[in-house]
Amino acid sequence: MPRRPARPSFALALNLTSLLAFLAASLPLFYLLRRALDAQISEIALILFRGKTLEILATTLGLTAAVTACASLIGVALAWMLFNIDFPFKSGLQALVILPVAIPSYVFAYSWILLIPGFKGFWAALFVLVLATTPYVTLTTLAALRRSDWSTYEVSQTLGLNGWQIFARVTWPQIKNSVAAGSLLSSLYVLSDFGAIALLGVDTLTRAIENIYRGSFDRSSASILALILVAISALLIRLEERSRQKLNIVKSSARIITKGVTTGKLRIKLIALLAINTYLALGLVIPISQLLSIFFANSTSINYSLLSKASLSTLLAACLGALIALALALPVGVLSAQGSKLGKVSDKAILIVHALPGIVMGLALVSFGSSIGWLYQSLLLLSFAYALLFMAKAVGSVRSSVARVPENLIEISATLGQKKSATFRRVVIPLATPGLLSGTLLVLLAAMKELPATLMLKPIGFETLATQMWSYTSIFRFNEAAPYALLLVLVAAIPTFLINRPDKGDGLGGDRI
Amino acid sequence: MTSLEIRDLTVQLGSREVLKNLDLYISSGLFAAILGPSGCGKTTLLRSIAGLITPKGGAIRFGKQLVSISSLVLPPHKRNVGYVPQEGGLFPHLSVEENVSFALGRRVSRKEKQEIVEQLLDLVGMPNYQKKLPQELSGGQQTRIALARALAMKPAMILLDEPFAALDQTLRAEISQEVVALLKSSKTTSIMVTHDREDALVSADIIALMRDGQVVQSGSPSEVYLRPISAAAAESTGDILTLPARRIGRNKYLSPLNSPVEQIGKQVGFESGQILVRPEEIVLMDEPDENLVSAKICKINYYGHDALVELDFTGLSQTIRARVTDTKGLVVGSRVFVSHKGPFRWMPEKATGE
Repeated sequence: MPRRPARPSFALALNLTSLLAFLAASLPLFYLLRRALDAQISEIALILFRGKTLEILATTLGLTAAVTACASLIGVALAWMLFNIDFPFKSGLQALVILPVAIPSYVFAYSWILLIPGFKGFWAALFVLVLATTPYVTLTTLAALRRSDWSTYEVSQTLGLNGWQIFARVTWPQIKNSVAAGSLLSSLYVLSDFGAIALLGVDTLTRAIENIYRGSFDRSSASILALILVAISALLIRLEERSRQKLNIVKSSARIITKGVTTGKLRIKLIALLAINTYLALGLVIPISQLLSIFFANSTSINYSLLSKASLSTLLAACLGALIALALALPVGVLSAQGSKLGKVSDKAILIVHALPGIVMGLALVSFGSSIGWLYQSLLLLSFAYALLFMAKAVGSVRSSVARVPENLIEISATLGQKKSATFRRVVIPLATPGLLSGTLLVLLAAMKELPATLMLKPIGFETLATQMWSYTSIFRFNEAAPYALLLVLVAAIPTFLINRPDKGDGLGGDRI
Repeated sequence: MTSLEIRDLTVQLGSREVLKNLDLYISSGLFAAILGPSGCGKTTLLRSIAGLITPKGGAIRFGKQLVSISSLVLPPHKRNVGYVPQEGGLFPHLSVEENVSFALGRRVSRKEKQEIVEQLLDLVGMPNYQKKLPQELSGGQQTRIALARALAMKPAMILLDEPFAALDQTLRAEISQEVVALLKSSKTTSIMVTHDREDALVSADIIALMRDGQVVQSGSPSEVYLRPISAAAAESTGDILTLPARRIGRNKYLSPLNSPVEQIGKQVGFESGQILVRPEEIVLMDEPDENLVSAKICKINYYGHDALVELDFTGLSQTIRARVTDTKGLVVGSRVFVSHKGPFRWMPEKATGE
C-alpha cells in the first residue's frame, strides 16, 4: 500500500537546525533586554536623561546625519559622472572608487592620524567616515543607473530637456530607491562604527557603551545604551523601507547601454576627472601610501613572532566562526530557497542580527557567556559572535546557490531511487558548492577584520590582527601598528574584488561587504 | 517488467485541472507512445506515473501493486521507475560513469559497478565514454546516457519525455530507432510521451491519443490510424478531411464523394453526420467516368516525395485535399474525376437536444 509522501526525518532535521539558527539569532537581543531589565526604572531614567547621555545621543545622530548627507551627495555625483561621462579607463575608475570600502574604518583613521598629527574630533570623524562610506552610495547608484531605461534619456533629449532637467525629471525617479538603500548602508555603518570614532576621540553611543562596560562593568547601563543604538538602527531601516516606492521600469527591447550620455565637453570632462581623482587620492592613494611608507620606514623593527601569532589567531577564530555560520546558514538557506515559512522567518532574524553593531553583539554575548561559566572569554564564544554577525552573508549565498540547482535533477534523483537526504547529499550540495564556498569565505574575511566584538569577547592573551593593531594605536605606538593595518587592508580587499566588481555584473553584492 | 493500469486519474495543478478522469492500460513489456498536442497533459501524466506529482484522485497500479490511490502516493524513490526527461537531465557534476551508476547502492561493489556501466554503455552504443562529462556529449548522446542510467536500476518501467525532441531531423530517425529497438529487446515496459505523429506511429506497440487531459483512444498504430473514433482522434495521427454526409438508409449514405462508407460506432437514429477521409485515400483519374464526381484542381502543393492537390467540388464550400505520389498530367484549373481507396468512416453527429 502507498503511504504519505516522503519520510519526515530529513525535513525534520532541516527544520530543527533552522530553528536552532533562529534561536541563536534571537539570543543577542534576548540577553540585551534581560540585562537592561535588571536595572531599576529609576536607574534607567537616570541613565537616559542625564546630560552626558543626551550629549552622546546628539553627537551620534549629528555625525550620522552629516556623514550620510555628504556621502550620499558625493556618491551620487561620482556615480553619475562615472556613468554619463566618457573618459579613458572608465571601467577601471568604476572599480577603483568602490575600493575605499574595503579599508576598515580604524585603519582609515589611523592612516590619517599618521599623516596629520593631532587629527581628532567630530570633523575628523566626519571626514574619515564620509570617505569610507561613499562607495556604498556610489555602488548602489551605479547599479541603478545601469538598470535604468536607456531610451528614456534619449527621448528626453529629443524633447528638449537639458542635462539638469534630465537628471531631475528622468534619472532621479529611476535611481532614488537605490540611493536610499546606499544611504541606509552608510548611516548604519556610522552608527555601528567603533574603531574610527574611538581613535579620533568622538563620544558616540558605541564608544560610550565600551567605556561604561570597561570602566564600571555596569552591564545594565551599557545594555540600555545598546538598545537605544539598536532602536535607532531599526528606525532607519524602517524609514528606508517606507520611502521605497515601487518602480515600474519598462525596458525597451532595443537598449544600448554601453556608454551613457557622452557629454563631450572637455571642460566638463576635466572637472569630473578632477573630482573623481580627488576622491581616489583622499580615500585610497593617501591612506595606502601612508601605510606603506610607515611600514617600510620601520620594517627592520617588526616583531614577526607577534605578527605571525596574531595572524594565526585571527585565522583560527575566523575559520571557526565561518564554519559555525555555514552550519547554521545551510538549513536556513535551503529552507528559504524552498519557500518554507520557518526558513523565511529565520532568514529575516539573521538579517536583523546582521544589522547589529559589533559592540552590541559583543555586549550581548558577554552577558550570555557569563551566565554559562566555561563559555565566558572562550574562543568558541568569539567565533560564535562572528558567526552571528556575518551569517547573513552565508545565508544569502546558500539560498541563491541552492535555488539555482535545477528542479528536474532533484526529481530524476528521486526516480533513481534516492531518498531526499541522499539527493541532497549527492546532487544539491555538490552543485551548490561554489556558492557555499564563497559564502563561507565572505564570513571568514569579514570576521578577520572585526574589532569591537573581538575586543570584548577575546580570551585573555588572545590577540587578532585587529586587536593587536588597536592596542598599539591606543598607546600611540603607531609605527608598530603599520604591518597589521596593511594585512587588514589586504584581507578586506579580497571580497571587494570577488563580489563588487561594478564593471562586471550589476553590483548587487553592495550590501554584502 | 510490469503492466500499467490507470483508473480515473485526476490531477490539478494550481487552479487548472490538467488530467480529468483519465483511464489507461498498458500490458507488460510493450512500448507505448502517448501522443497529443502540447498542453494536453501528457507530461503531467508521465510525472504522475513517476510519482513526481500527487494526484487529486484516481488510482495507478504497477502490475498488482497499487502505487497511487487518491492523494496517497508511493514516493518516487520507491517506485523503481526509470525516468528520462527531455534533454536527458544528466547530473553536470558527475562523469558518464558516475551518472550511469548513480542508482546503484553501496552494496554493489566498485568492480560490479564498473561491469554494469560497461555493459550498459555497450548497450546504448557508447563504449569507452566512462570518463566524459555531460557537457562534452551531444544531445543524442546525452539521451542515450540518461537511458543507460535509468536502465541501470533494472526499472519496472521506463518513462521517456519527448526523448528525441532535441535532436535534429537526420539524427532523430536513427537514434529513435536504436533506442526503441533497445528498449523492446530489454522487454521493459516503456512509455514515451511525444507530440510527433511519426515518432509514435513508427516506434510504438500501442498508442494512446491524448486530448484535454484525457486519453481519447488507445490501440495499435494501425488501429488508431485507420479506425479513429472521432475527427479529433483522427487528426492526432495524420491529415484528415471531414466531409458533411447524410445517412439515407441502412448502410446507405450520401456524401460529396458518392462512395461506400464504413460503419464505426452506433448508426441508429442519426441522419446527418460526417465522413472522415485521409488525403491519401483519394484517387484522381483524368479518364471520364460517369459513376464518379468531378472536381476542379485549384492548387498543387508539391513536396517532392508526394504532393497535396486541392480540389474544388461544385456545391461544397470547402476544398478537399488529395495526396498523390505522381503529379504528371495534373494542371491547375483542369478537371479530374475523383475516386477513393477503401471505405470511409461515418461519424454520426452528436445527438443535440434529441
